[in-house]
Amino acid sequence: MTKVFTDGLSFAMPLLIMAVGAIYSEKSGVTNLAIEGFQGFGAFIGALLAVLLMNVMGEGSQAVIYLAMLGAAVGGGVYACLHALLCIKFRANQVISGVVVNILAVALTTFFTSAANTAINKTLSNKLILGVSKRFTVPVLSKIPAVGGFFTNMYPFELIIIVLVIFFWYLMYRTRFGMMLRACGENPQAVDAAGGDVEKTRWIAVIISGALSGIGGICFAYSLLANFSPSIYLGYGYLAIAAMIFGNWNINTTALVCLIFGLAKSGGYQLCIAMKLPSNYSDLFLMLPYVLTMLLLIFFSKKNHPPKAAGEPWDKGKR
Amino acid sequence: MKTKGHFLARRLNGRYASVWVSVLAILLTIITAGILLLIMGKNPFTAFYCFLQGCGLAPKTNYGGGSGMLSDLTDFLNYLAPMMLASLAFIVGFKAGLFNIGIAGQMLISGFAATVLVGYNKSIPAPAAKILVLLVGIAVGGLTGALVGFLKYKFNIHEVVSTIMINYIISYITGFFINNNYVDMLTRTSRVCSPESRLTLTGVVIGGVNCKVPIGIAIAVVMAFVVQFIFDRTCFGFELKAVGLNRKCARYIGVSVGRRIVMSMAFSGILAGLAGVTYYLGYTNTIIPKTLVSMGYDSISVALLGNSSPVGSIFAAIIVTIFQQGANYMSSMVGVAKEIASLITGILLLYASCGTYMKMMARGALQKELDRADDAKRAAFMAEEGGEEK
Repeated sequence: MTKVFTDGLSFAMPLLIMAVGAIYSEKSGVTNLAIEGFQGFGAFIGALLAVLLMNVMGEGSQAVIYLAMLGAAVGGGVYACLHALLCIKFRANQVISGVVVNILAVALTTFFTSAANTAINKTLSNKLILGVSKRFTVPVLSKIPAVGGFFTNMYPFELIIIVLVIFFWYLMYRTRFGMMLRACGENPQAVDAAGGDVEKTRWIAVIISGALSGIGGICFAYSLLANFSPSIYLGYGYLAIAAMIFGNWNINTTALVCLIFGLAKSGGYQLCIAMKLPSNYSDLFLMLPYVLTMLLLIFFSKKNHPPKAAGEPWDKGKR
Repeated sequence: MKTKGHFLARRLNGRYASVWVSVLAILLTIITAGILLLIMGKNPFTAFYCFLQGCGLAPKTNYGGGSGMLSDLTDFLNYLAPMMLASLAFIVGFKAGLFNIGIAGQMLISGFAATVLVGYNKSIPAPAAKILVLLVGIAVGGLTGALVGFLKYKFNIHEVVSTIMINYIISYITGFFINNNYVDMLTRTSRVCSPESRLTLTGVVIGGVNCKVPIGIAIAVVMAFVVQFIFDRTCFGFELKAVGLNRKCARYIGVSVGRRIVMSMAFSGILAGLAGVTYYLGYTNTIIPKTLVSMGYDSISVALLGNSSPVGSIFAAIIVTIFQQGANYMSSMVGVAKEIASLITGILLLYASCGTYMKMMARGALQKELDRADDAKRAAFMAEEGGEEK
């Protein structure tokens, strides 16, 4: 039972940071279906950095993980500039741009992972092998029955993500910049009239979105897969988007939704083990988060309030 | 340089602007890919020629026994058929303003259904089996597509999110059934289906070489013209386009938008289903469990490159398929990882999606040119006026 909570949280946290990234972009008025690509590309840069650093600092060094996270954030942020360029400067269709960015990310990372492996390790493999992050247990809290599972065997990145989410929550709902960002998604003309710079705000928002998604990606690579390979494109970016829609573009509710997703996934997996089903059946349980997403969307999409101006390129001359 | 810019600007504003955008996108992609190959220390010209050789569009230096340029060409056509159908599927949705990125999933489920229902049934004779395969593909694909449309219309679920979720659900479910019931222990893929039901005629000898003749390519070309006809000449096609361009306006002129959304997704699903059966019961003849084909995304590149015109997508499909299908041979000859094919497709998609910007730039450039001409004329006129006064 504790395992359900432990695994659930370690899945929910990367999902949450990606969803927060998606919220930032969409709240500023840029539809963002590119989360999947951002997280993959960010994770690739982080993983590449980690592999290079591991050769220098030794296999077991834990500092590598934090540097990899930083690398992933930078990588994701830089890659997000492509989406920003297409959507804001080139005024391309934002849905198309999102899909283009995703497809390109898969192609780029797959190709360069093979290329990097040939260059660094002299092997023909499409995986960058990473270490596994050390875990820790919070002393007192973990003793609480059932819920204590949240505090056992935590990954350090979970703490980092919680701090980041609180920071970005504050930035969005309690600062002048956050106010302007949200206004850009609702009524950019008003922002422009008030002397704000709509394009600049949107650029910043999309880059934040990429950086946060990159962090989410490297956390998946480090915790769940222990390597970087094209199999990182499991659709978790889209799950994050679904969480955002279900959470009605609000960070608080989205956090709750991510937790539900995480618990559904780990719960299904533990159920499969508990029922002692053959390994083939695990496929059916792996399907659970996706089915759950569909069901939740069916019940909650209708009364949602998406940002009004999301999906429209900003045109100064338009009334 | 100036004249060249002028030339392009005029072309990008002219009647065939969209065609020129695609041509420009292809040229830019080839240049980018060439630079990439140069950086990796390979000769880009050899590499591009190898792509053509791998597709049977240029002769290779030597062939194995019983195979020839024609067998490579038929292989190429085998892959081209589902690619064209898949991109048509995308186009039909796209014209109605719907973004069907679940084509890979729709292909998989219809291919799986046709394999299980018809492909493993050895008693059905050849022509009936082939027709049944097509019908199953149409039915299953259409239903899956209609479901997405229904979710969009009834519950306001964005089709991109729902199709992705359905993709994964389909991939896990079919993977589960294949692994449990239909797996070939040796290859770890599903068992091959009967030759009667396969949409590719194998072992046909043409001119002394073994060829695999695809029936799908004929279906694909016919469908391209059918779709073009529907959009150009029928009320249904017009209504779909109206829904895609402006939903509110369409409702105002009396189109039942919800029903059209469901129908266009169903139509899109039907075409994806056809693509699925031509892929899984034609090109491969077996299904790898838990794997979605990259064609689902490649078809988006094809559709955008073909400027979402059904007939234009035939040419776009040929271009993209050359890269996808020729990659293996190119990889073995030049020594570049074959994943470069997807990278090239991605770059192509990137440039194709900048079409609006290209046109915008061209319009600006042309406007500047006109202004300059205007200024010159005015200056000349003023000078003349002044001269007369004196």
